[in-house]
Amino acid sequence: MKWNSIILVAGLLIAGLLVAGCVSGDAPAVPDATPVPTAAPAPEELRIATTTSLYDTGLLDHLTPAFEEQYNAKLLIVSAGTGKALEYGQRGDVDVMMVHDRAREDTFIAEGNGVERRVIAYNYFVIVGPESDPAGIRGTEPEEAFQTLMTEGKAGTPGVVFVSRGDASGTHAKEKAIWKAAGYDYATDVQNSGDWYVEAGTGMGATLVMANEKEAYTLSDIGTFLAYKGDLQLVPLVDSGDILLNIYSTMLINPEKHEGIDTELGKAWINYLISDEVQQEIKTFGVEEYGQPLFFPASGKWDLMGVSEAEVSAPVV
Amino acid sequence: MNEIVAGFTTALELIISLDPEVIDTAIRSMTISLTATFFATLFAIPIGSVITFSEFHGKKALINLIQTLYALPTVLVGLFVFLLISRAGPLGFMRLLFTPEGMVIAQMILILPILIGLTISALKGVDSTILDTLRSLGATRYQFMKSVVREARYAIMAAVVLGFGRAISEVGAAIMIGGNIRGHTRVLTTAISLETSMGNIALSLALGIILLGIALVINLMLAYVQNR
Amino acid sequence: MLKLRDITKRFGDTDVLRGVSAEIQKGEIFTIIGPSGAGKSTLLRIIDFLDTPTSGSVIFGGRDITSEGSIEVRRRMGMVFQKSATFNTTVFENVAIGLRFRGVPETDVRKKITEALEIVGLTGFEERKAKTLSGGEMQRVALARVLVTNPDLLLLDEPTANLDPVSVEMIEDLIKKINRDFGITILMSTHDMVQGQRLAHRIGVMMNGIFSQIGTPREIFSAPHDRYVARFVGIENIIEGTITAKEGGLATIEADGTLLYAISPLTERTHVHLFLRPEDIALSCTGEHATSVRNVLPGKVVEITPMGPLNHLILDCGVELIAVITWKATEELGIRVGSEICASFKASAVHVVER
Repeated sequence: MKWNSIILVAGLLIAGLLVAGCVSGDAPAVPDATPVPTAAPAPEELRIATTTSLYDTGLLDHLTPAFEEQYNAKLLIVSAGTGKALEYGQRGDVDVMMVHDRAREDTFIAEGNGVERRVIAYNYFVIVGPESDPAGIRGTEPEEAFQTLMTEGKAGTPGVVFVSRGDASGTHAKEKAIWKAAGYDYATDVQNSGDWYVEAGTGMGATLVMANEKEAYTLSDIGTFLAYKGDLQLVPLVDSGDILLNIYSTMLINPEKHEGIDTELGKAWINYLISDEVQQEIKTFGVEEYGQPLFFPASGKWDLMGVSEAEVSAPVV
Repeated sequence: MNEIVAGFTTALELIISLDPEVIDTAIRSMTISLTATFFATLFAIPIGSVITFSEFHGKKALINLIQTLYALPTVLVGLFVFLLISRAGPLGFMRLLFTPEGMVIAQMILILPILIGLTISALKGVDSTILDTLRSLGATRYQFMKSVVREARYAIMAAVVLGFGRAISEVGAAIMIGGNIRGHTRVLTTAISLETSMGNIALSLALGIILLGIALVINLMLAYVQNR
Repeated sequence: MLKLRDITKRFGDTDVLRGVSAEIQKGEIFTIIGPSGAGKSTLLRIIDFLDTPTSGSVIFGGRDITSEGSIEVRRRMGMVFQKSATFNTTVFENVAIGLRFRGVPETDVRKKITEALEIVGLTGFEERKAKTLSGGEMQRVALARVLVTNPDLLLLDEPTANLDPVSVEMIEDLIKKINRDFGITILMSTHDMVQGQRLAHRIGVMMNGIFSQIGTPREIFSAPHDRYVARFVGIENIIEGTITAKEGGLATIEADGTLLYAISPLTERTHVHLFLRPEDIALSCTGEHATSVRNVLPGKVVEITPMGPLNHLILDCGVELIAVITWKATEELGIRVGSEICASFKASAVHVVER
């Protein structure tokens, strides 16, 4: 009898998992029908989904200890591409999101998924490539550089290869924006335009390594590039131009959409990030190691970034 | 070549200095994967026994299916479990995403087919005279299965070690379900992935060497038990 | 105590058992002898309901157990297999397993095992790994394992088939002892007819899925029912003939033009088989013989084959006869292939069955 009941339980569990999996696969966006009272999160934990560049550069690990101590909090930071982070946010798996893709953030907020966006930092993307620069883009405007790359690449000029992230990350979104500004339709003109355009489908670090091996061009955030610089022969070729601006924001997941979002601690975290002391920390982070800062503080630069003053400095209440 | 040498050197340094974060990550890796293996074994042995010693329609097809699932991609398991336990999923209320418990579930599902399949093979490998002897000695169905499992214990142990190896070495499900949260769900494989993307090649190699070291120790323990 | 009623067993297109009926008496040793593939193992497995018969029934202790073979019934039987099955653990645990299944208290387990190991001569082997034992020792462990469960019926399926002669003797002694001292009924299969003869109170000769003959060893070996049984029990001279005259109990039989004499109740013109053991044929070069010997056949030596301490001779005496003679006698009589010789045997040495 005991034997039978063990088998029964095991069978039910597996059957249950399978059924549940099918249901969830068919209708992933259906929120919980019944609120469960035990679902209240542990008060000291805050779940954050962040874009990789903020985490992999070590910035967040640098900023979190002081916050955790001050608020008796434990930050659970998941580092993922912006696309993945937005997905986590939409499903309510995290309390706070840190991303860098203004266009998709706007949609996300417009759909009611996110609230209280604040800009915390910015820097610039860089177009990097081999020292020899066979396409001759050094010092040009980003849009012009992409046009040149397209022309030379399609013409088959030796050594002109561009490696794209190709992974729906913030950097990839930026790349697509530049192609658009340069006058191309990404899906028809750029993708499948020839062997010169390589879609890596991987993280920034791996993309840089691939570009380095192929002696190719790529678009990178400055933080990851500096972190990898020691192992690379690639050099920055284009590093100025408005379109290369890279704006990092943080926002709260809309508590009205999902049960149990830790709003209070989330607000505290956002306010902590835009506080003067943290902004000062951002300014100096990485200078010692790389000889230049990886990020610029957003504080007071709302005009430069083209965002509202409130988004930079108004505390969340 | 230099990077490989540096990797070994770093690994040695980390192990000798008992770097707290590395030790912590290694222990977490072992705890999560051992727990997953334990529960998977708990399910796999009864399920495997029942499949082996029952005659039913579609038994062959079921065994084929189980063996096909040996090749279950870890990312697919990750995705499946993610949809299951994500806040918007059916088990979302349990808040298992980004927790070690969630990782245990994912790894358990990942290795369950291997454990069931190899349990079946192990039980089938037991000599038919042994089966006849057990029956003729008046074993009940439960006593019979228990005794056959005991007889096949070394082969099943090898299966369990293989399952553990797959659990501790997988990265796809661990990163999707655990989220690679420092001090919480970061295990050796996700740490390797992160350190690689941060450009710390030597550290990545070092973590890999530690992972292999754990696998080696587990295998040596099995060999010791088997030879005893 | 055990009745088998018309048991058949079909595996696919093959009839392994074709209507086996027998009755085993309480306290006897009944051996099933027969060539490999005759269905001996299948029959034993059916009795222990490891296999189910296609038709027929097994009645054990007055109950038909064919359809409702329960664990309680099975626990009153014990079975030892040809290939010794030892579990990968200690000798003690191997012997204990049947008791553990029955939930016997640990103190009783210990006591019974000590006794059983003493009986099978393995005292002190308790903590040995069973897998390290020799074949004979493993089979003794298997016997001890069923002995501790104190069965009413012991089924032994060719228990000595793969063992060396010394181990065979030891196991045979054990079987006799178990039967004698504990009164356990034993049903045992063997392909070794001499072993069957040595151990059995009664023998069943199984040929092609049925019992061709059931009887005491003496009946089986001296008066086989048919030529197949005769051949299996080592009767090498099987001669076809017809009774041409009858005078009292003495029959005159014509076989291939040769006249032979035998004692038989059968009537004239019956077609018969004559069974004659090679040991019952006397050989001489002179044709001298005792007066009581009815059959005297002159002939020639066709072939000489050494077998152990004896030579097997094939003789052409009108009918073909096989005789045995010691090496020494072969030399003394100067027998070689082609020698003229005279074979003689008593009429009572010939067993006649209708064909």
